[in-house]
Amino acid sequence: MSEDLQQRIHDAIANPKNIGEMENADSVGTVGSADCGDMLRMWVKFKEQDGKKVIDRATFQTFGCETAIAVASVATELIAGKTVEEALSMSGEDLSAPLGPLPPMKIHCAQLVEGALRSALAPTAAPTAPAPAPVPQATTLFDQLHAASSPERKVKVVLKVPNP
Amino acid sequence: MSLTTSLDPQIPMRELLRLYPGAQRALFRRYHIGGCASCGFQPEETLAGVCARNNALPVGEVIDHILTSHDQDQKMQIAPVELAAALKDDAGTKLVDIRTREEFDAVHIEGAIFFTQELMQEILMKWDRRALIAVIDHHGARSMDAAAYFAGHGFEQVKSLRGGIDAWSQEVDASLPRYDLE
Repeated sequence: MSEDLQQRIHDAIANPKNIGEMENADSVGTVGSADCGDMLRMWVKFKEQDGKKVIDRATFQTFGCETAIAVASVATELIAGKTVEEALSMSGEDLSAPLGPLPPMKIHCAQLVEGALRSALAPTAAPTAPAPAPVPQATTLFDQLHAASSPERKVKVVLKVPNP
Repeated sequence: MSLTTSLDPQIPMRELLRLYPGAQRALFRRYHIGGCASCGFQPEETLAGVCARNNALPVGEVIDHILTSHDQDQKMQIAPVELAAALKDDAGTKLVDIRTREEFDAVHIEGAIFFTQELMQEILMKWDRRALIAVIDHHGARSMDAAAYFAGHGFEQVKSLRGGIDAWSQEVDASLPRYDLE
């Protein structure tokens, strides 16, 4: 990742916008799973403006990496004031545009945000393309970091008796 | 001196990680590869292939970096007595405990924070990237990966407690019981 992009991501997450659950949201969309590390949930609130239903504000929560946080932060600002149709017409590239072009390995983060937005705005819409088959990956550092918090992991702690 | 002759660029990532357990940490710290699902790799991919699809990284340079990963791992560790001294001297030192809730509830170092996904967001977004952050697990193995993950996100002084809380019990605070897991 270029230092320039890294700096823009740092700038975005230093003062992230619209983070957290929205209690009175009109719609909620989720993609991924917190258990596998790539989860993004988006809450959307609508309002009437000039006779049109537009997005009043959107918030998000993610357990993805910092690029996903940065993209979600700028995307929630971009979609405010747009109609559902206008927001749905935006690609992951559009939603991450304020950060500049993402390297190939980070495009997934923008797609995560796009997926959550589509899930929130058109939850019943058919996907535009079949979901790709899951590709087995090597264990990541993120997996190791979260290994102990897995709900399946139950351990019994047996304290050792100190030597006399 | 280049060290590239000692590692074949066509080596599968599975084999690379078997030969060099610290390679994944080294790759993420410098190149942001292998940290999460977004930047991960497949076990059967070759090192050359991973480099090619990550902005055409020069594979020779990457191999040199991997071959020094053991030294890099050592620099990322902090000894229990060293951490104890840092906690006395610097109130900004943070302890992040990545063990299970059961282990944390049974025994933990005073001031340690139990790691959750919410805490991870707070760390990435709000914590000072220059502060000393010590990651703690039982024996100091998984905490190496965790520390490398944060180092790859720009945390300059993130460390893994060498030997984990078990070593802390033996070298710093004997009142903290040692334990086994069943």
